[in-house]
Amino acid sequence: MKLFKDLYQYRELLKTNVQKEIRGKYKGAWLGIIWSFLNPLLMLMVYSLVFPYIMRVQIPNYTMFLMTALMPWNFFTQTVANSSFAVIASGSILKKVYFPREILPISVVLSNVVNFLITFIIIIVFLIFSGVGISWTILLFPLVLIIQTLLMFGIAFILSAITVYARDVEHIVNVIVMALFYGTPIVYTIDMLPAKFQTLLYLNPMTSIIEAYRDILFYQKLPNFLNLGIITVISIVVMMFGLWLFRKLQRNFVEEL
Amino acid sequence: MKTKEKEYAIIVKDVYKDFKQYYDKANTLKEKLLFWNRNDNEVLHILQGINLKIEKGKMVALIGTNGSGKSTLLKLMTKIIYPNKGEIIVNGKLASLLELGAGFHPDFSGRENIYFNASIFGMTRKEIDKRIDDIIEFAELENFIDNPIRTYSSGMYMRLAFSVAINVDADILLIDEILAVGDQHFQDKCHAKMKELKKQGKTLVFVSHSMPTVNEFCDEAVWLQNGKIRMIGKTKEVTDKYLEVCR
Repeated sequence: MKLFKDLYQYRELLKTNVQKEIRGKYKGAWLGIIWSFLNPLLMLMVYSLVFPYIMRVQIPNYTMFLMTALMPWNFFTQTVANSSFAVIASGSILKKVYFPREILPISVVLSNVVNFLITFIIIIVFLIFSGVGISWTILLFPLVLIIQTLLMFGIAFILSAITVYARDVEHIVNVIVMALFYGTPIVYTIDMLPAKFQTLLYLNPMTSIIEAYRDILFYQKLPNFLNLGIITVISIVVMMFGLWLFRKLQRNFVEEL
Repeated sequence: MKTKEKEYAIIVKDVYKDFKQYYDKANTLKEKLLFWNRNDNEVLHILQGINLKIEKGKMVALIGTNGSGKSTLLKLMTKIIYPNKGEIIVNGKLASLLELGAGFHPDFSGRENIYFNASIFGMTRKEIDKRIDDIIEFAELENFIDNPIRTYSSGMYMRLAFSVAINVDADILLIDEILAVGDQHFQDKCHAKMKELKKQGKTLVFVSHSMPTVNEFCDEAVWLQNGKIRMIGKTKEVTDKYLEVCR
């Protein structure tokens, strides 16, 4: 509760921090912002050539099938990558003045939410022009986004705090994220796997989230609400744990930096 | 008891603070795993059992030689660092001026930096909008406020930073021996401002090595020596004793 009060009081700082995150990622104004969207689109282009033509994945409308999962995945990896340095990058300010430290990882997540929302508009444009179209299930998008954002908050709290104590955690995280890319049904569907692997895949929280995005945007059907419910609980637990850990570790941030 | 505590701006209860000094700090997981048994640090006991109550509306000076723990105590009060033992209770909004220009960005203009800096102190845009003219006027930077602050002289930089901090509307202000910078004119102005703040009922805690300044402004002085409180009381008595011992 105190966190909400703090965040409200420090809303100006939060706002400028989010703006700085969005602008700072690509120096220079407009051409830079274009990069943040061109990058995932180029990645999409590469994958949509590699998997159907080289790996012979047989899924109709593969580019859109991929896009509806790859863009949310991108939101995940970007947040993970940025949050490692959220606290370290502000080291000098932390030493000089007090403000609620939680603002740092929170602004990383929020700036990535903004980026993802812009990407979402691009997805809609692609859906319409590719002939897949959109249906009313798109209204569930905010729900899925909120669930994923809760999870991202938790991960950002944990990673930003741990990295202060061990700078090389980033490398381990990079490998895990790369492995998870193939451990999440992004470039394939989950029923292409043997049954025993399928249950294993559901241990990965991103699996249910990615499937939900794809259900509402690409297949245009209701997502699996049981899975979504489970993942909501997991996301909240991860977030609470992350916040608890962050608060515990932040007491020594200044001495560690 | 609870109502009694509210009368104080800051209560420091039996606070201990240690600093670990590493000769070669393991900053990565790799090093931590490889050299887990390497224990090359030295523990410095900076503060040892500090008990202090600062009444609302008082001006209190922290005095003592270098390394006596004055700055550490201020940092603990603003929650930049946390005590190993003990507790610090703060009643009211607190702003600290430990180092000037936290969050200043050299490439942005003075005006933009006022917004950055003031937001770090927890001000909202509206509050800053209301104060910005006062801030610029106090800093006497009307002609330079839209220039990037990398073009500022160190005196201008300091004036801007001090001006923001003093205008954040805090109930408690912590100041770490920074008033010494700036020319005579600006120092006088700061002193006048401090008197004004005192009249408004704000609490001020400041670290200073200038005994005349301390004598002029403070109601009370706290003398720290080697992490312990050596003496606490009326300013004149404490500073006299301090000067006597130091000589």
